[in-house]
Amino acid sequence: MKQYYRVADLIVEMDTFGRTLKQAEPYLIPEEKESDIRIFSVWDDLREIQPQLSDDDCEYLTTGASFYYQLANFDGLLLHSSAVIMDGKAYLFSAPCGTGKSTHTSLWIKAFGEDRVQLLNDDKPALRCIDGKWYAYGTPWSGKYDKNVNARAPLAGICVLRRGEVNKIEPYGGFSAVHALLEQTTRLKTPDYMEKMLELLDKLITAVPVWRMECNMELDAARLSHRVMSGESEK
Amino acid sequence: MKLKSGFVLREVAGSCVVVPTGAELDFNGMISLNETGKTIWNCLENDTDVDAVIAVILSEYDTDEATARTAVEGFIEKLRKHGFLEE
Repeated sequence: MKQYYRVADLIVEMDTFGRTLKQAEPYLIPEEKESDIRIFSVWDDLREIQPQLSDDDCEYLTTGASFYYQLANFDGLLLHSSAVIMDGKAYLFSAPCGTGKSTHTSLWIKAFGEDRVQLLNDDKPALRCIDGKWYAYGTPWSGKYDKNVNARAPLAGICVLRRGEVNKIEPYGGFSAVHALLEQTTRLKTPDYMEKMLELLDKLITAVPVWRMECNMELDAARLSHRVMSGESEK
Repeated sequence: MKLKSGFVLREVAGSCVVVPTGAELDFNGMISLNETGKTIWNCLENDTDVDAVIAVILSEYDTDEATARTAVEGFIEKLRKHGFLEE
């Protein structure tokens, strides 16, 4: 059945099933006349290419891909990262799979408590630029464990993580920062889309502080990234 | 010779970045160009040859022909290796 959702302040029309239907439930809204994004289910196409995946996983992956692809039409993009909200601001930790994004944000929750830190989206937060300001959003597509909240917060910083013995954080810029972020977003083979992606990345990196951090799995890692990214160390 | 079609070039946060797109370009990375690289790249967007590119470099930069030739030939060789050029 076709239903309407509000995701990243956009009206989304989707007819889905299984895990996707369940994870999207908190985003349900009453029927609307028009929608910004229409998601057509193509899970069976993916299933043909990747027969090892379940119908449910195919649905989840293709609906997510369709959403994030269309997000570009609304000055938005996906950044593969674990995102938290703390004191009303969003902080994103990005890295290739297996680096420990979720571990780092779970350290934030441990260090500062669940009433101060909320896990916004553990894998695929949506980012949007609205009137020159960047916001991070929870979405129904948030990785294996469905960890997301239907909320938004102004984006205060993005940190690219790498594992290390000693905790160290520094501003990140130039080509390697652009490269690191482009690797963690949606990439398509069409020139128009990539043109738009680069335009959005340019806006994002210009407006939002980007950091690079080497971190271990101690609570001190969370304390350090929070102190630097929130600007507390300057006070 | 000229660049194949499908490259997207853009200034991103102060860096000149090129991303290959389209089915023809089998390259997943992205390219960073410095000032000289960008000048050579722009020349190669239209059909040209090595000597014509060197002439552009000599007119825009304070350098001698031998240095310009080494830079241009080296750069073009890299592009050729990745299969970015139509000969």
